[in-house]
Formats: sequence, structure tokens, C-alpha cells
Amino acid sequence: MLDFKHTDRTRREFESLSLEHLDALYSAGLRLTKNERDAEDLVQDTFLRAFRFFDKFERGTNMKAWLFKILTNTFINKYRRRVKERTVVEGAAREAGNERFVTREPTESSADPEQYFFDKLLSDDVIRSIDQLPIDFRLVVILADLQEFSYKEIAEILDCPVGTVMSRLYRGRKLLQKNLLEYAVASGVVHGKQVMELSAVVEEEEAVELLEFKRRA
Amino acid sequence: MTHECRKLEETFLHAYVDGEFSPEENAEVKAHLAECAMCAHAVRLHQSYKAAMLRANATAPHLFYDDVRERLHHESDHGRWARAFQKPSAIAVAAACIGAALWFLAGGLSHPLFFSGHSLIEDGVALHARALPLDYPSNDPRSAQQWLEGKLDFGVHLPRFAQGPRLQGVRLSSVHQRQAAVVTYSLPQADGRRVSLLIVDDPEPHLPGASRRIADREVWLSRARGFNIASWRNDEIVYSLISDLDEQDVLALVQSAEMR
Repeated sequence: MLDFKHTDRTRREFESLSLEHLDALYSAGLRLTKNERDAEDLVQDTFLRAFRFFDKFERGTNMKAWLFKILTNTFINKYRRRVKERTVVEGAAREAGNERFVTREPTESSADPEQYFFDKLLSDDVIRSIDQLPIDFRLVVILADLQEFSYKEIAEILDCPVGTVMSRLYRGRKLLQKNLLEYAVASGVVHGKQVMELSAVVEEEEAVELLEFKRRA
Repeated sequence: MTHECRKLEETFLHAYVDGEFSPEENAEVKAHLAECAMCAHAVRLHQSYKAAMLRANATAPHLFYDDVRERLHHESDHGRWARAFQKPSAIAVAAACIGAALWFLAGGLSHPLFFSGHSLIEDGVALHARALPLDYPSNDPRSAQQWLEGKLDFGVHLPRFAQGPRLQGVRLSSVHQRQAAVVTYSLPQADGRRVSLLIVDDPEPHLPGASRRIADREVWLSRARGFNIASWRNDEIVYSLISDLDEQDVLALVQSAEMR
């Protein structure tokens, strides 16, 4: 019916449930699109779509996950076409899958939690490392590590099995940490001993190469 | 010293840090971590990785928040008609409205049973509700008054409000073949809510509603279609303030209106 008050009430209800997730959606959108302008467009689109389909949202269920499902679908359908990343994924997946957890030996420097490699990193390096990930890994890493969704929630958002989420997440993290190590060595944030420590995180041979790279530099 | 813990997989420890386990499972892992430096190290490393990732989160620009809200407002204004007319019942209602309007135009209004001396004000309410575009947008009461003087065949005084309503502009209209002006204000103290002032030369001696004396004026308060209306006469011209403000606020507005 021509019930204006109803639509106003609906909008207010929608706003009260959705706007608190604006920062989270923007942050994720920024890492998906890699630039502020596209991130704003993507998030605007997400809010408009969510509002239009608000009657499909089951009250009392997870609003944040619902919004992120719309965000990722919108991104995949609209924005992803702009960037051809598909081909890269296959090669990168193979590479990351071969990495093994070589040694778990704790080193002296890591006795103090403050001394961990990741604690020293610059957010800019973290961001660059995320942005380098092929999209399938990036999506899972963003949802798990930036937004702290559970594996099950991610599986629902991406419409894939939990096992797929876990393997993509594992590989994605490995790739990301390898990128991070490269940046950290290049910018001198880490030292030789820590590079060795991180060989546990990435791959031993890689780490040795990096050490040599550092010696030459 | 160099030995590997074969008991727990790395992905298993990640899942533990990611909070995927039940409280009982967590307790088991904790018990193991207490006696296995290798796994404890892997867990701390993963925790520091997760903390670094969280630090890389961005926050949306302040203005973006407003942009999103504005788009939603626009969407709900724009979409309500589109949505309303998707429903067959709404189309029936609309058809009935058009039918009623035709009947009205064909002289239904003069039917003695339905005649109301103050349908002028109800028409004013309808004009207010529709928020039609302004003929003369202006924030300056003096220039709006000058503009009106050349357009109407009766003199008007645009009231000056001590505080609150901010002039948006004027629209010319006609109600029951009488010239009328609709002056639009917005109220900054009430989220920019709209207030309309209908000005019409109405010869009908009785104004609708209950009368009260406010600031040396006889003011008539009434309600129509969910709006509160305060009407008063000034130099034979009827001024009606129409808004969805509650009665107290309407009275305060009338009190602060200065007619010169």
C-alpha cells in the first residue's frame, strides 16, 4: 500500500542494523579494489543492494555476514572483471601449496612476544602484501584476518565448502607472509636471525636466498 | 634440542588461534602448549601475525558515512512510489483516487453533504505533503516577499521568525480556484523538517479547529491527515502553518512569528 511511514521505518531499521558495519565493509572494499574511489563505489552499491533486498534478510541472523556476502558478490560480478587476475591464481596456488612448515624451533629472539617479526611490521607493508595476493586468496584472508569471520561464516559468504576456505586460507597466509618477509628484508625491518626464524613461516630456501640478498645489499 | 612436534598440525594450531574450537578443545590445546615450546611458539607467531593484520584495517572517511545515508534516503524516497505501484492493491487505490479526483473536479465538491468551508486548508495539507518544487527559492524573507508582491492579487506579509524556521522559498499555487502561496521553511533544530505556510485570501469567516489566543492573535489549531495546522488571519488573509511537529512546537512557532 501507499504506506510512507512504513518505508521510513524500514529505512531506519536498516540503517540501525547496517551502518555500524560501514568501516568494516569499507576496509574490506579497499583491500579488494585497492583504491579509495572504487572502494567507496563498491560499498555504496553494497548498501543500496542490501537495502533493496532487506525484506529477504532474516531478522536476528548475522547482519555483518549478510552484508559481506553482498559486498563480495557485488565485487565479483562488477569490479573483478576490471582486473584480470584469474590466470595468476593457478600458478600461485601451486607455488604456495608446496611450502611446508620446515622447522618450528623457537629462537632466542622470539622468547619475548614483543620481539616477533610481525609485531614490527609497518601497516603499509602488510597492506602491500595483501594487495599482491591473487583474488581468491585475498578474499579469504580479508574475511578471516581483517574481519575475523569464522571458517563457517566465510564458507557461507563465498558459497564454498569449509575445506576450501581452510586450504585457501592456509595458502593465502603463506603467500602473504612470504611477501611480507621480502618487504621487511628490503626495508631492513628484520635481521638475519629473524629471517631464519621466519624460515619456519615461509620456505627455507626462500629465506636463505633472502639472507644472501641482504648480504649483497 | 632440535626436534619437531608431530602431535599437532600447523593448520590445527591456526584453527585454534582463529577461535574455531570449542571450550573443551581449547583446554586440551592449552594443556599441550604448556609443555610443548614448539607449538607454543607457533601459536604466538600466528597470534602476532593476526594482530599485525588487524592493525592494517582502514576506517571509512567521515564524509562517506553521510554519503551512504544520503543515498539511502534518496533511495527510499525514490523507491517508495516504484514499490508502491508494484502491488495490484496500490494500483486499485490509485485508480480510486483518480476517480475521486475526477468526481471532485466535476463538481462533487459542491455537493451539500460533502461541502466543507475549510477544504482550503486540507488542500494546503496536500500541497505540503507533496513537497512540490519551489518557484522562487530564497533564504531571504524580504526578497521572497517582493517576489510575491508582483504575483498575487492580495498583499502578504511573510512572517519573521525569531529563531528556527529557515526560509527555503515560495511556490505559487491555487486552491479552489483561489490564488495561494506556499512558503516552505526547514527547521534546523528538528533535522531539517519541512514546515509550510499556506497563504490564501479566504473569505470564509470561520477557521477550522479550536481557537486560542497566542501573542495577541486568534489562532485556530486543527489536524488533518496527520499534520498539525495553526491558522490565523492577518489583514483578512489567512495564514496556515502546516507541519508534522507536535502541538507544543507548533504553538511555539506561532508565538515567535512576527507579522509586519
